[in-house]
Amino acid sequence: MQNHKSIKIKNGMVDVCKNAAALINKKSIDEYEIYAVNSIQNEIEIFNSNVDKLSFSDSTGIGIRVFRNGSIGYSYTAILESDSIEDCIEKAIINSRITNREEYNSLPKENEFIYKQKVIKKELLYRDDILKFSTADKIEVAKKLEILTKEKDKRIVSIDNLIYEDSLSEVAILNSYGFCDTFKTTTSFIYVNAISRQKGSISTGDYFSYCRSPKDFNLEDIAAEAVKKSVSLLGGKKVKTQRCDLVLDPLVASQFLGIIAGTLTADSVQKGKSLFKDRIDNKIFTIDLNIFDDGTMPDGLATAPFDGEGVPGGKTTVFKNGVLKTFLYNTYTARKDNKYSTGNAARASYRSTPGVGLSNFYISPSRENNFEELIKSIDKGFFVSDIIGLHSGTNPISGEISVGAKGLWIEKGSLGFPVKEVTIASDILSFCSSIDKIGNDIKFLPSGGYIGSPSIVIRDIAVGGS
Amino acid sequence: MINDKLARKILNTLLRSGGDFSEIYIQKKINNSIRLEDSKIDDSSSGFDLGCGLRLIFGESTFYAYIDSLQKDKLINAAKVLSSAASSKSNIKILNLTSSSSSYDVNIKKYPHNVFQENKRDILLVVDKTARDYSKNIIQVTSNLSDSEDEIFIANSEGISSSEKVVKVFLTINVVVKKGREVRTGYKSIAKTCGYEAFEIKKPSEITKEACKIAIRMLDAESAPVGSIPVVIGPAFGGVIFHEACGHGLEADAIIKDASVFKGKLEKKIANSIVTAIDDSTMPYHWGSYKYDGEGHQSKKNVLIKNGMLKNYIFDLKTSKKLKKLQTGNGRRQSFRHIPMPRMSNTYIENCEENPKSIIKSVNKGIYAKEFAGGQVDPATGDFVFGISEGYLIEKGSITFPIKGATLIGNGPEVLMRIEAIGNDLDFAPGFCGKGGQSVSNEVGQPTILVSRLTVGGTKI
Repeated sequence: MQNHKSIKIKNGMVDVCKNAAALINKKSIDEYEIYAVNSIQNEIEIFNSNVDKLSFSDSTGIGIRVFRNGSIGYSYTAILESDSIEDCIEKAIINSRITNREEYNSLPKENEFIYKQKVIKKELLYRDDILKFSTADKIEVAKKLEILTKEKDKRIVSIDNLIYEDSLSEVAILNSYGFCDTFKTTTSFIYVNAISRQKGSISTGDYFSYCRSPKDFNLEDIAAEAVKKSVSLLGGKKVKTQRCDLVLDPLVASQFLGIIAGTLTADSVQKGKSLFKDRIDNKIFTIDLNIFDDGTMPDGLATAPFDGEGVPGGKTTVFKNGVLKTFLYNTYTARKDNKYSTGNAARASYRSTPGVGLSNFYISPSRENNFEELIKSIDKGFFVSDIIGLHSGTNPISGEISVGAKGLWIEKGSLGFPVKEVTIASDILSFCSSIDKIGNDIKFLPSGGYIGSPSIVIRDIAVGGS
Repeated sequence: MINDKLARKILNTLLRSGGDFSEIYIQKKINNSIRLEDSKIDDSSSGFDLGCGLRLIFGESTFYAYIDSLQKDKLINAAKVLSSAASSKSNIKILNLTSSSSSYDVNIKKYPHNVFQENKRDILLVVDKTARDYSKNIIQVTSNLSDSEDEIFIANSEGISSSEKVVKVFLTINVVVKKGREVRTGYKSIAKTCGYEAFEIKKPSEITKEACKIAIRMLDAESAPVGSIPVVIGPAFGGVIFHEACGHGLEADAIIKDASVFKGKLEKKIANSIVTAIDDSTMPYHWGSYKYDGEGHQSKKNVLIKNGMLKNYIFDLKTSKKLKKLQTGNGRRQSFRHIPMPRMSNTYIENCEENPKSIIKSVNKGIYAKEFAGGQVDPATGDFVFGISEGYLIEKGSITFPIKGATLIGNGPEVLMRIEAIGNDLDFAPGFCGKGGQSVSNEVGQPTILVSRLTVGGTKI
């Protein structure tokens, strides 16, 4: 199998952009932007100490945005030969024939940047040591996690999912206004799902880690967390339908936060799809929470020197002391609201145009309360360690929330019996105002952006059971 | 797309250091998508992908690589790199490739590349106008129209090859309504494995009105009840319950990994005896249909449950060999960038004789769940959740008022046993199903059914 050792990552995305730019007939358009990505990916799946799947790829694609008379057209190609690129340009022009004309449709200009481009240390985004890991080394890492997980508890009967993935990417943007820049990132990801059984009861628990290099994985911790989640819920039962207080695990809270965050983009606000429309300067959270979106956070996986249209990001205070201060903007939505872009132009890949997205979006953790103290503060309640059905059970537009949950019952300040197959329901605004305490144990989850939250306590929520 | 000689050369190169199976999957894809929002076309995009996925199976292991190119040198080189993953002598040598045959046949009338961009735009403008005319409470209409034309060529070391052209069109309609501070949404879609003639058979304006009707009715919704009560699940998209709660557990990879409650249950009773369930990838023009699956095997109709007895699982090539069963034409993949795995196609519960109205009449106090926002399942335990996007309260045999914010939560095997009545109004609904990071087109389907007891998660206690 080919190793990263033998792959020289090409420093060529700027060249790819320049080659494509040379093929654009500048007479037929007003402005253009070329976005190029090269990505080298490895994926390993282990089952029963054996390599179940191993795949690798090295691919490059470009997306071309053309601006003509205030209209935008987009097209992408993964084939970089001249005739394919010419065809791609032609299709972008055809697409621009039918899209809406608007005065805001033009490339971002430097005098519109709210944040100055910060120097982000190269090694925060890109770690050379990932190249020292051969495919065999990565297989060893994955196998080791499988063994560690199995050995933690004899009730673990199967590891049905053990995935290792990494990628080395280079992104470049070139536009006709003169922007031309590039950056490289590395990421590695590992995931385990452990199935446990005891006396006819089955339970599953998963855990994961995202890092810049496999060197940073703490395999012991990952195994321990997955096993704890799995076995602690064995023999889980429904509780009676009731209202009670909840403690949400940081990763559960992060999932809810991700849904809320999606409605704080200027795009959803301007299109009438956000509950937060017309609520700037309103106190949304009862407690004095601070929530930030920080595209330059040193250890953030969404950190980058510039966003999906070449605009630098920064630390934006979205909520200050529970009060909504701003929405998140790209260039188009900012111009529409007479604001500056917050550097939140997001692109899922070269296949799509820049929308508005999140970068590193997080609830600033408390300095005091650790998890145990939060549990202690609950007389009767439910510690939610996992939720399912988040995307089908929440409607960010109407605000409804109703999801499946499992976890442990809390009585008189301590964790008790396992609970499963119950629902928790609320709506986004009540959910926010019912948050009563937060912990100091922040964890991050990649979901849209890189979303982080500590454990949170929410008062008086409907729990559906028997 | 490449000639047989080169295909054979690549297949043999893959096996040169050993292995049990090699495969080449070539795909050329042209796609377009247009989005309308705020009564404006705010995005129009096109894409071109062309590439090849190479697969080598060696013992229990699958090795995979893909490249965005069909250049001969690059293909051979990728095959050489991949072959180094194996380490034994292979005695497989591919001499001839025989074309697969399939009875699935469709006639495409309006290829996307023959439809003008302006005519595609007009479909979205009709959706917008229809919705805005429907009610002044409509505050937003978002509609996406996408089409794709795929050419796929597959050849493997068992000497079979297949080629297929696939045309798909997909229109989604989301409306948002507002009255006072109440905001509701409505969703409908048209998705067919054919060209733009799909919109002549099913009119975008008609389904737009259906989406509006749902959203408007839900404006008056009251909080959903909480607790364990009888649930009538509506036809078509109601089939998502079976797809999520049972279908995924019948996919053979879950069986092999001991991650399914249906392991060891073949020929055993797993559902009430009125339940017959089928996965059928051969239904012409349906969203989940195909001529060949992602491994070049012909599409099939596969009976999963017959009169409550488990008859079969859902297989791809690798899992069928492992469990020594026949593959069922369900080895599917998102693209040449993905490894195939067992996936459902069009999955449904078969019709029975009961009238849907009499099913509702038989319920004293319960809910009628008509449309869902999707769902999720843990196949290892069978626990599932799905969100109700259109639901009503049933009181004394009649539908009374709409309910909001409700989720159904339950356990697949338990629900199968608790299906107490099945109607005669089988219908289908299209969607995308995600698994292992891959998204493929699916249809779910069922007639109206009654589940004697399910946990409803609302806020009204």
